[in-house]
Amino acid sequence: MSTPGMNASSGSPGSSNPEYVTARVRARRGVLFDDDEYSKLVRMSPAEIARYMEESEYEQEINALGSRHSGVDLIEYALNRNLARHFDALLGFAEGQLYDLIARYLRKFDAWNVKTVFRGVYTDADSEAVETDMIRAGEFDDALINRLLEAGTVEDVVTVLDGTMFGDAVDAAFEDFQESETLVPLENAVDRAFYEQLLGTLPSGEAIDLYREFLEAEIDFRNVRNALRLARSGAEIDPGEYFIDGGRLFSASEMTTLVENTDELVARIRESRYGTKLSEPLDELEAADSLIDFERALEGVLLRYSKQLGNVHPLSICPVVAYILMKEREVTNIRAIARGREAGLSETAIEQELVIL
Amino acid sequence: MSLELTSQVGNIVLTSGNAGAAAEAAASAAAEAASSTGALSPSAAAALGVGLAAFGAGYAERGIGAAAVGAMAENEDLFVRGLILTVLPETLVILALVAIFLV
Repeated sequence: MSTPGMNASSGSPGSSNPEYVTARVRARRGVLFDDDEYSKLVRMSPAEIARYMEESEYEQEINALGSRHSGVDLIEYALNRNLARHFDALLGFAEGQLYDLIARYLRKFDAWNVKTVFRGVYTDADSEAVETDMIRAGEFDDALINRLLEAGTVEDVVTVLDGTMFGDAVDAAFEDFQESETLVPLENAVDRAFYEQLLGTLPSGEAIDLYREFLEAEIDFRNVRNALRLARSGAEIDPGEYFIDGGRLFSASEMTTLVENTDELVARIRESRYGTKLSEPLDELEAADSLIDFERALEGVLLRYSKQLGNVHPLSICPVVAYILMKEREVTNIRAIARGREAGLSETAIEQELVIL
Repeated sequence: MSLELTSQVGNIVLTSGNAGAAAEAAASAAAEAASSTGALSPSAAAALGVGLAAFGAGYAERGIGAAAVGAMAENEDLFVRGLILTVLPETLVILALVAIFLV
């Protein structure tokens, strides 16, 4: 049987169980907030949003955190915890190769946690504050995260990371850090280690090939975003440092030259395979010069892409990744609404901040 | 190995059901030997057919059952719907039973 995504397992024992996992994922996708709920939320104050969340999916987290936090903080921590609970559950019921692929993608949160710890240590934040910002959705277990939190210096963090997938990369970047005294080399090393393992030695199969294309698109979009941001900021930074390998759009050296010439960069994207999908946002970018809108459009395109892929290959990693992206999006949306309301933004301004499909 | 067996069984079923000519051309030596000695009576062939149909139904139910249980774990109201969808492939076996009454 060579059903897509069901080849011989690698890593975790047993054969994969895409039927079971995708059925559960689809059910969870069904309870994500929809347009109507968003338009209700946009009209609420942070306290009302928290109360609304208490009556939804997020009940457990709001109740657990309600005594310690309040207002927007409560919402934010509840969102992060809920995200972690759902993604941990995904890893709990996936088996075999499917587990492997999901874990690879969820290591994104390990990378996030490591970067948060680095920043916390660097700015001398107390470990409790750092702990609330952790998203325990990746593969790092609580013991490892606690050891990371206990680390007092950047060097300690690097030592704790020894033996994890970030170990070698962080070790190599530590010298740069000592020279430059900025976190940029370490953060880039973490990101690169994550994307390397994401694309490295993917199994074969029709669904996996499409999935690989999707991952390449994700990396390309990230590079485009970084390139445009660097071009806008006009800072004297080597764009190659921020380049993530594995995309199809351009190489590190090409990125360096394209950053200096935004028009050429836009033309390059237009000619690429993302041209048709991105033509509208690119027009807007050229006309309005607004990077924020363009970045949001990129996310929307990626989200639609993953969703479409999930429909093409319903019994594979694709619908699971689509769900992961949608859930992340929901969390960002609600956070944007809560923060926006707190800052007193108008409803239309907040609605523009949201990415809703 | 198993593939070979299936094709042989298929040949036996076909030849003993008098649909011989086309099948015989493609039949392997082993299958021909089996059919020429008449090792399989028509009712035995029908029984094999039902067994194969049941096998197929079982395989189909494997995936549907897993998905149904997944859906039920998220929402218990789906129990009845899941149960119905899970046993739908059983119709395959019921249709295959027709062969028993025809021989």
